[in-house]
Amino acid sequence: MQKIQDKINALEKQLAPECKELIDNWQEKEKLYQEEDYNFTVRNKTIKIKTHSESLSHSQIPKISTPRYKAWGDLLQWQLQENVPGEFPYTAGIYPFKREGEDPTRMFAGEGGPERTNKRFHYVSLGQPAKRLSTAFDSVTLYGEDPHVRPDIYGKIGNSGVSIATLDDAKKLYSGFDLCSPTTSVSMTINGPAAILLGFFMNAAVDQQCEKYIIANGLEKETQAKIEAIFSNKGMTRPSYNGELPQGNDGLGLMLLGVTGAEVLPDDIYQKIKSEAMAMVRGTVQADILKEDQAQNTCIFSTEFALRLMGDIQYYFIKNKVRNFYSVSISGYHIAEAGANPITQLALTLSNGFTYVEYYLSRGMHIDDFAPNLSFFFSNGIDPEYAVIGRVARRIWAKAIKHKYNGNERSQMLKYHIQTSGRSLHAQEIDFNDIRTTLQALYAIYDNCNSLHTNAYDEAITTPTEESVRRAMAIQLIINRELGLAKNENPLQGSFIIEEMTNLVEDAVYTEFMRINERGGVLGAMETMYQRNKIQEESLYYETLKHNGEYPIIGVNTFLSSKGSPTVIPQEVIRSTEEEKQFQITALNSFQQRNKKEAPELLQQLKQAAIDNDNIFHVLMDASKVCSLGQISNALYSVGGQYRRNM
Amino acid sequence: MHEIQKYQPKHKIRIVTAASLFDGHDAAINVMRRIIQSTGCEVIHLGHNRSVDEVVNCAIQEDAQSIAMTSYQGGHTEYFKYMFDLLNEKGAGHIKIFAGGGGVILPDEIKELHDYGIARIYSPDDGRVMGLQGMINDLVMQSDYETVTELGNHLAVLHEKNPKTIAETITIAENHPEKLASHKLEKENKIIPVLGITGTGGAGKSSLLDELVRRYLHDFEDKTLAIISVDPSKRKTGGALLGDRIRMNSINNPRVFMRSLATRQANLALSKYVQASIDICKSAGYDMIIVETSGIGQSDTEITEHCDVSLYVMTSEYGAASQLEKIDMLDFADLVAINKFDKKGSLDALRDVRKQYKRNHNKFEVKDEDLPVYATIASQFNDPGMNNLYKAVMDSICQKTDAPLQSQTKLTTDQSKKIYVIPPERVRYLAEIVENNRRYDEWVTKQSDIAQKLYQFKGTMEMLNESKVEEK
Repeated sequence: MQKIQDKINALEKQLAPECKELIDNWQEKEKLYQEEDYNFTVRNKTIKIKTHSESLSHSQIPKISTPRYKAWGDLLQWQLQENVPGEFPYTAGIYPFKREGEDPTRMFAGEGGPERTNKRFHYVSLGQPAKRLSTAFDSVTLYGEDPHVRPDIYGKIGNSGVSIATLDDAKKLYSGFDLCSPTTSVSMTINGPAAILLGFFMNAAVDQQCEKYIIANGLEKETQAKIEAIFSNKGMTRPSYNGELPQGNDGLGLMLLGVTGAEVLPDDIYQKIKSEAMAMVRGTVQADILKEDQAQNTCIFSTEFALRLMGDIQYYFIKNKVRNFYSVSISGYHIAEAGANPITQLALTLSNGFTYVEYYLSRGMHIDDFAPNLSFFFSNGIDPEYAVIGRVARRIWAKAIKHKYNGNERSQMLKYHIQTSGRSLHAQEIDFNDIRTTLQALYAIYDNCNSLHTNAYDEAITTPTEESVRRAMAIQLIINRELGLAKNENPLQGSFIIEEMTNLVEDAVYTEFMRINERGGVLGAMETMYQRNKIQEESLYYETLKHNGEYPIIGVNTFLSSKGSPTVIPQEVIRSTEEEKQFQITALNSFQQRNKKEAPELLQQLKQAAIDNDNIFHVLMDASKVCSLGQISNALYSVGGQYRRNM
Repeated sequence: MHEIQKYQPKHKIRIVTAASLFDGHDAAINVMRRIIQSTGCEVIHLGHNRSVDEVVNCAIQEDAQSIAMTSYQGGHTEYFKYMFDLLNEKGAGHIKIFAGGGGVILPDEIKELHDYGIARIYSPDDGRVMGLQGMINDLVMQSDYETVTELGNHLAVLHEKNPKTIAETITIAENHPEKLASHKLEKENKIIPVLGITGTGGAGKSSLLDELVRRYLHDFEDKTLAIISVDPSKRKTGGALLGDRIRMNSINNPRVFMRSLATRQANLALSKYVQASIDICKSAGYDMIIVETSGIGQSDTEITEHCDVSLYVMTSEYGAASQLEKIDMLDFADLVAINKFDKKGSLDALRDVRKQYKRNHNKFEVKDEDLPVYATIASQFNDPGMNNLYKAVMDSICQKTDAPLQSQTKLTTDQSKKIYVIPPERVRYLAEIVENNRRYDEWVTKQSDIAQKLYQFKGTMEMLNESKVEEK
């Protein structure tokens, strides 16, 4: 007996106090999930959530199901590696419960000029309580240039994305959405010229708030007079929204088209509105230049300069308390689309993420000041590893940020948007694509993603139609609202295979980290195009197996229809119209004409800031008011260097 | 599926490959260009995001038979029609355009483009029916013609600097040297210096060359420049990858002419026709000529026979210092650049190369800093080391040839210093993260073992206590 007691005493000394606490408090914690309501706080707001839902059979379905472990070893191991959602290492999720009344659905749009996309945004979000808008830009914009009549540019204006070249374009694009409302969040898929587009967006948000101030204080008439005076002085006509406002667009953001709040309000008031707007605006800019160089190629500046711009944005965010906007969306999506398998997607993306952490730290920023501004974006394919991609990502991130970088809880939480894989959609038997998307969406929702986009079944062959987009949305809604098991928010926990897969993928990611490390870290590996080659090899492997049928794809290489499942060719695709292209060019020309006095001075300031190592984004906030996208890109090339292509 | 035989070209075929403007999808064109090359063609690859103007200028200067492109981002109808028009406008309507864009290019658009004069747009179904090699065979077969067979009055109008005329004259020199041999090339009455650049593969020569060109164009507002760049041919297939242009951002300028040559003999570093090409450019009256060649071995010094000033580009990765004794170019080069100076061991390399240079040239009394050995990071924008090198190159040219090319620019000329994104001492961060996370996992395993044992002992204790109570 005494010997046993001695053993117990010795072991108790070895057991870390935090572990002891976890064991001691377990029963109490478990109880919280059995009570009717659960209270928790997010950013100083207490949220009360029902812990159970009731099925038609009157069963009480727990939102969080807790383990039945009794032995301390299992219980401790589980809490240290899995834990309930909302607690370190956040394997099962970063919040204790999912947000109620808000499906993690983003509305994707981008076509033609800003007006057409604006109409589309209003169409898809009409009646939705939360406006989560996702913006696709045309390739002219993605490469930082202005619309132009030159045919090789002209043909691309407003195709496969919206054409945005000026602040006015951005104001029209988001008009009628209050960009500072807590229920609006905007994501922008832009990388090379991300800083410039972000400048447009921020100014659009600020000017919306100015407009609200003007109306609230009865200054509308006076303001209109001021604007008229500005334009009559310049001898030019005011720009306007082309066409009628769509249903749901109340015109917010259009009053100050052609001017900025700074021109019509006293400076102190403008500055106050600006700083309040910056603190409230919600959204994400992709801005992930590392994955561009590794997989997608929309680089325009030298990589070093592009990184510096990212750092400048983040620095500016910290200084101006931009807390609700993600300064980067560290993306694996394009890495996977280019052919990487899920392990490589995850490893490259996380390694890119840690590279930004190291870079921002080296610029003197504090981990807890910037880590909450980072977000992730993954692709969700059909491979087994995709069942655990979120779990592994959250766990690796949390362990590293907590123990290596000493970040706080908010910094430890990895938030990610996920999109079903475009590459897994096929141009044969396209009806089957929705089945694939449904399964991928299920993976994602069970894995507790923070936001999800489901692809339309016809995306492999054309721009999605309203009908196909509606079906894609229905996939999410059916899972979230109809599927009974999805009422539970941790359905994967406790599964042997899920735990095994999680460990396996986590380990594989570390192995890949070490390979990258041997090559001098992410940037060193990029110099020899390690990531690019790896992605290409994996792509080739998939294509080979797909081609020889070893990797079965129903309706593509097996189970063909009696007609042989031919490739479906679209009859027509959505293209921008002549009128839209011409309108964009005319709008740009009059914008440049209107600002021809101010623009050169600001472009010069921009270059000087780059040369003097000042914060470029700080100047960009002003330059983006009067300069067009192409003007700014070209000014920055001369001080930052253009991207150099690789063989 | 049976293997499709490769088509055997009858003529020397040169094909420009690229992806369309604002289009980053380069996977397909990368596959295509490899097959085109292995089918025996000389491929001038431009990579992604190329404007019509860039591609057309390149195709004309390179005197290519065809252009092969991909376009996945829309706007293809406008793009290819514009390309067709621009080629015709520049008198190069013979250059054929081939393209593909998967399902993005619709069947009626393909028809529209074919009707307009585009040689062939390959559809996904073409790919399925013909196979990759089948498509390339079709493309190469249609490109199997001679762009020029007779000199005509080319030589008389070389001085007009029409890129097409110069390009065709170089082609004659390559394909029908006998036709040029009987003529004497006119020479302009001015000094035209030739700079030769050579160095080891992977030393970053083309980036460095581009950085020199950028500074030259900035330095002189009206001076022209011709660049001749030589890459090896593959002995097995006769094909070649002429890959310098992809790295060059500053050459699409009316003052610059660039021509890539394949050696056409695998064991040479230089094309047999390099001197003829230089003479043609001299006759055209360019203000300066740069010849760039891939070094193929340590004893490759042939370039010095063709140039007035030679520059050897290397990195710190040459092995032991004794290896330097084998590099002949350290005897012959007027200037040496140690590029990628941010690489490990670069300071040692600078010291060793300086030592070797002193020995080779018997210049033991010269101060280290005064030796023509330069540390550069060409990949870094506005690198001070590159500025140094540029100045030294121009000074050396003026000194040796009396050419009127005194550099006027004021450039910062400090020592090259890498501006690090990740500080060197932090470069192991990924390994540290792995170590950190694995340490955590080990700790978890240990603590869980302890907890498990504790649970077992406590359970045992309880059971023993219970049985004790019962015994009483």
